[in-house]
Amino acid sequence: MKPAPTLSSAFLTPTGQSLPQPLLDLRAQRGTALTDMPLPTRKTENWKYSSRYLQLTEALAGTLPAAGKSGSALAVSGYHVVFHNGIMVPEASDYPDVDGIEIKRFADLDDDEARELAERLDNTLDAEAVQLARLNSARFEDGLLIRLAPNAVLDQPLFVISETDAHCSGSAYPRIYLDAGRHSQITVVEEYISHGDEPAMVNAVTEFTLADGAQVTNVRLSAEGENVQHIGATGVRQGAHSRFDSHCVGFGGPMRRHDLQVRLEQSGANCRLNGVVVTQGKQHYDNHTVIEHVAPHCESEETYRNIAADQSHAVFNGRIHIHQDAQKSNANMSNKNLLLSTGAEIDTKPELEIYADDVKCAHGATIGQLDETSIFYLVSRGIDRRNARTLLTMAFINELISQIPVESVRATAQARLNHFIDQTFTEA
Amino acid sequence: MLSIKNLHASVEGKEILKGINLEIKPGEVHAIMGPNGSGKSTLSQVLAGNDAYEVTSGEILFNGEDLLALETEERAREGIFLAFQYPVEIPGVSNLQFLRTAVNAMRKHQGQEEMNAAEFMKLARQVSKQVDLNPDFLKRGVNEGFSGGEKKRNEVMQALLLQPKLAILDETDSGLDIDALKVASDGVNALRSDDRAILMVTHYQRLLNYIVPDQVHVLAGGRIIKSGGRELALELEEKGYGWLGVKDEDEAQVAG
Ligand SMILES: Nc1ncnc2c1ncn2[C@@H]1O[C@H](COP(=O)(O)OP(=O)(O)OP(=O)(O)O)[C@@H](O)[C@H]1O
Ligand SMILES: [Mg+2]
Repeated sequence: MKPAPTLSSAFLTPTGQSLPQPLLDLRAQRGTALTDMPLPTRKTENWKYSSRYLQLTEALAGTLPAAGKSGSALAVSGYHVVFHNGIMVPEASDYPDVDGIEIKRFADLDDDEARELAERLDNTLDAEAVQLARLNSARFEDGLLIRLAPNAVLDQPLFVISETDAHCSGSAYPRIYLDAGRHSQITVVEEYISHGDEPAMVNAVTEFTLADGAQVTNVRLSAEGENVQHIGATGVRQGAHSRFDSHCVGFGGPMRRHDLQVRLEQSGANCRLNGVVVTQGKQHYDNHTVIEHVAPHCESEETYRNIAADQSHAVFNGRIHIHQDAQKSNANMSNKNLLLSTGAEIDTKPELEIYADDVKCAHGATIGQLDETSIFYLVSRGIDRRNARTLLTMAFINELISQIPVESVRATAQARLNHFIDQTFTEA
Repeated sequence: MLSIKNLHASVEGKEILKGINLEIKPGEVHAIMGPNGSGKSTLSQVLAGNDAYEVTSGEILFNGEDLLALETEERAREGIFLAFQYPVEIPGVSNLQFLRTAVNAMRKHQGQEEMNAAEFMKLARQVSKQVDLNPDFLKRGVNEGFSGGEKKRNEVMQALLLQPKLAILDETDSGLDIDALKVASDGVNALRSDDRAILMVTHYQRLLNYIVPDQVHVLAGGRIIKSGGRELALELEEKGYGWLGVKDEDEAQVAG
């Protein structure tokens, strides 16, 4: 029997050394832990639909160089932090320096701060489950630390833009850690984009910890080019009566994976997770979400929609785990899928594990095509077929797009969706 | 305007229409009555171009043109409008967006400028009042959660916006309360003109008090078995379909 393939050691060698020592130490330690890590295969349960898209060639092992110029093509008004191949670009960034809100790049932390951070990094994520995203901790070269003091409120969304510059082959490891104090509030918009045509890989990890009563909204737009594989993970831990809202919009690529793990750890915490994925051509996108109801009286509401055109492939795996003590949990999960062609493939799998007896838990997953009766109704009013299909396709996700609380992201998402529609419905 | 000759149509291999002949001239209103399952909606859907129904023989001329050669959307643009017996709910597409897209498709076809959102909103509010629908309905999904009567009024509203040459109303009166029937009928009457025609399917002669037809036809077993003036409807109401030698399939079974 052939031995299972393992992660090449080339991937475990970071390049940049310009981090405070405690973070360099952490990185080295994480790297050692990944030595000979088996790569996911068809037999790896939570990668079975996606392992075939993974192309971890040696060419991707090296860190993409941080070029000087950056942020140029971005029309972001408001607060923003730009990362270029995982390294922050201060000249391209503009964010507030206000009492109670600390926004710092990892490279600028002093040793004490770095030591504290090193102790907390990765605490929100189940390392076994996220698998390849663990690589981020062995490789990050910089990162963004956001700390909100109790009651601090950031008055506008903070955009964190991760640009991948793939003018040569390699990988980038963007990293965000946010610590929201009691009753603080913030909206963080993550945008993942790329330029350049060489094969590249982005491995991005974002973590949120919410103290009691904190409210964090996270918008995540994943839209890199056709040459970029994306492996991402978001980990969330929530205190009592905290609220986490997530809006993930993903556009397919050669390999796209996002793991979202939320732990409702204290009574009264609640989260809402919205997700939209569209894929076309031969693209792929895989969302894996896990909601852990650890404490009683927590609520989760999850709505994901996938649209797959052409020969593309979308995957949704949503797990809800209600622990024994989590009485009076209220969990709702809905995943609807739209196949726009017979060659497209969608795999969906809701997984419920319930160990408490007094809970409300509902889930539903459907896979369907555009409804012919609806198309007929629309064309019987003189609307052409292409428009009818467009209206119905957008109808499938309009509600989720309209819930994105940041106007400019809605516009960006809409523009990209229009492009998707143009490419998909080519015939008149 | 509309000339149907020996039309045969089937659905899933089962013949429903078995030789329909019908002539409608501009300005005329025709009513079609007949037992459940006799093929009235099938005829309506075939006219609108629903390809779930297969036309196996016969022809349909619309203003001299071969209607069967046209796609559904082309028929609509040429002036065919079908008010559905069961209007379709389309959550996620707002009624306003739907109506504007339809009106603009029509305008584009007629070489007119498309209407912008503000212009259209004004028009839509006006027409929604005409059918006694609160303009709030414009914001809701197409027919989403509308009551039966509201759906029917929404169909009439579409007819008023699209100004068809031939309006086919498939049981637009069903499910309407007395006031709504009046409102919807007024809407339909507003469409009447010398260059338009109306074909309405109904079970109730009551509607014909409001929209007075030139001819009434009885469709049974896939054929028009009797045609007459308005008084035919009254006679049907009184006597049912039995005297015409029609047996409801269920009745036939019970009797058999
Ligand atoms: N899509 C379909 N698939 C299968 N059978 C159909 C379909 N559409 C119509 N039929 C059948 O064709 C026959 C005629 O149906 P149609 O809807 O035209 O009747 P109708 O005269 O409009 O009746 P009603 O008065 O109840 O509206 C019925 O037996 C019906 O079951
Ligand atoms: Mg009918």
